[in-house]
Amino acid sequence: MGLGNGAQRPFQLPQLPPLMLTKSAAKTFFLGGTALCGVAFVLLTMDTLAQLPSRSHQEAMTDQVVRGHHIWNKNNCMGCHTLLGEGGYYAPELTKVVERRGAPWIEAFLEDPEGFFPGRRKMVKYAIFDPSKVGAETAAANKADIIAFLDWVGKIDTNGFPAKPTMNQAGPQIPADAQRLEGAPPFFRSVCSGCHAVGGVGGNVGPALDGVSTRLDEVYLRRWIANPQALKPGTAMPKLAMDEATLDSIVTFLRTL
Amino acid sequence: MLASTETQGAVRYRSQRIAYWFFAACMLLFSLQLVYGFILGFARMGMDGLHEWIPFHVARATHTNLLVVWLLTGFMGSAYYIIPEESERELWSPKLAIVQLITLLLVGVAAIVGYHLNWWEGRKFLEIPRELDWLVVVNVLAFLLNIFMTIWKGKRKTTTAMVLFFGLLMSALLYLPGMISFKNLTFDSFFRWWVVHLWVEGVWELIMGAILSFLLIKLTGVDREVIEKWLYVIVGFTFLSGILGTGHHYYFTGTPHYWLMVGGVFSALEPLAFLGMAMYALTMARRGGRKTTNRIALLWTLGCAVMSFVGAGFLGFAHTLPQVNLWTHGTLITAMHGHMAFWGAYAMIVLAMISYAMPELTGRAMYKSWMAEWAFWATNVGMIGMTGAFAVMGIAQVYMERKAGMDFLEVQESLQVHAFGLVLAASLLTLGVALFIKNFLDYGFPQEVPTGGPAGAKLDPRPADRRKDH
Repeated sequence: MGLGNGAQRPFQLPQLPPLMLTKSAAKTFFLGGTALCGVAFVLLTMDTLAQLPSRSHQEAMTDQVVRGHHIWNKNNCMGCHTLLGEGGYYAPELTKVVERRGAPWIEAFLEDPEGFFPGRRKMVKYAIFDPSKVGAETAAANKADIIAFLDWVGKIDTNGFPAKPTMNQAGPQIPADAQRLEGAPPFFRSVCSGCHAVGGVGGNVGPALDGVSTRLDEVYLRRWIANPQALKPGTAMPKLAMDEATLDSIVTFLRTL
Repeated sequence: MLASTETQGAVRYRSQRIAYWFFAACMLLFSLQLVYGFILGFARMGMDGLHEWIPFHVARATHTNLLVVWLLTGFMGSAYYIIPEESERELWSPKLAIVQLITLLLVGVAAIVGYHLNWWEGRKFLEIPRELDWLVVVNVLAFLLNIFMTIWKGKRKTTTAMVLFFGLLMSALLYLPGMISFKNLTFDSFFRWWVVHLWVEGVWELIMGAILSFLLIKLTGVDREVIEKWLYVIVGFTFLSGILGTGHHYYFTGTPHYWLMVGGVFSALEPLAFLGMAMYALTMARRGGRKTTNRIALLWTLGCAVMSFVGAGFLGFAHTLPQVNLWTHGTLITAMHGHMAFWGAYAMIVLAMISYAMPELTGRAMYKSWMAEWAFWATNVGMIGMTGAFAVMGIAQVYMERKAGMDFLEVQESLQVHAFGLVLAASLLTLGVALFIKNFLDYGFPQEVPTGGPAGAKLDPRPADRRKDH
């Protein structure tokens, strides 16, 4: 009986309540989510601002550092360089530049950027670093300011940026042997090492100088260092201003390698 | 709702025609941006003959600032078009809008000339000197006042109008943290991102979402209530991910370690907002019963939704996780993401709005020209090519310089050949932009509209057979 009755009425799906989101629920989601995230962001900001002075060693932020920061901003250095990874990607990352190159190299470079890398990507030669334009004293002070600023930046706790390269470079690996640099004159350690390695210590812009005395004789080395462009036009090696005594000391050192 | 007001027709309010002048300014500034882009591209190829007069950092600041100015001009023009229509009244003060456009352009020109004379703040993206910052603030306040009064006195307050206004208001407010001076670089960097990130990955997406919603209402014929409901959901996702996603700029700038976790998790969610936006636009377009005659406007609208997902969402995600970003931070990978993200999300929404508004403003159906269609494809294929070139350069740079420790200049010189590819792709994009501008000029000036609107269907410029569509 019951079955017969049921057969007369076609089976109907139970009516489900509409699962559609209403506009006011959507609005609540938007306003609520925004408020929640906004509050979290403000709280994290407050904590960050409290931590930044110690993480950036604000106590070491001298007037010289602040002046250097001003030079950095005034000339839009981050329009080409990056600092803490922020900038123009056209010129090198400078966060650890003082550690990498050393102050004497940077001082010499700023005076004549194109002279250091002739025929390659250019950097503006700024008058503020040029003794012939602003006087030796001001130029030296400006250089000291920007180097102090970059040195301070290099000591900020950046959570590990920039990372050390992890892939081995092609070519024979010379085990690091800092002792080989022991006899090097100060000019070599501060400037030449920026580009050349000895005993695995130093830059990799130019060739490593281990065993250089077996390849090049004293006369050639002397002429080469005094004016690289004259021997090999277009070379990346810059002509560095140095007196005879410095040149002597470098050549003497190279002869020991 | 109000089916008659949602149909396409000639522009309904006289003051909407002010949008034309904002769009014309966009075309001018966009062209100039491309010129400076080429200076940068050629410099990367090793051809830096202009170095003495326009060194890289000058060209770069000009290129990025012109982008920001033309996009803002486009947003303002869009707002001047949309708000009267949504509020069903004339603009509060058309005169103020004209004054505001002229002064905005004057400030922009002063800033750009200043960059060439080494007058700037030297803070990436916020290079505008402080004195001019204040003029920008006054200008934007005048704009906001005009929009606010129009909505306030309007007949209706739609969700689209409110989201657009909220986005514009927040953009103005978030400009202020960028004007605080800090001696400490880490503080300076922290608040600089409040402007840059919270603009482009926050409140600008509100503006974009609102314009998208307006265009979808007009072009697809889907019910306003449905479109606006999903607009809330999408901007909800945007803020849910975008606000704390600011953390992806705080990994390595001196900020505490927890930002690696916060920034990583929330910025990994950012693509969802863009995916939502793309699905929303495509679904509405499919669902819509009405077929618009202005196919090009629909193409730009849907293209914007899709390309913003690819550029901002997908390519952003490609380098947003901290363990990846440790290597890619400060490399050309950022330029890869940045170019397609700005193009897809913001340039395309402005171009979509222009493509929609021009036939309405001028009463001419120039969208039927082959130029309009070719402009779309040439620009987009060109931008995809540029993104590819930047990707190759960026990936090579990461492995050679960052992973293997090769010298910076040596790596950059090995990338010059890819910079040539970049310039080739940019040439295709430029061809497309030239076609777009030619098409824009072919439309001519806005037509006369009786004051007080609605002008109604009598002014519908299209042939009678076209009008039957809706």
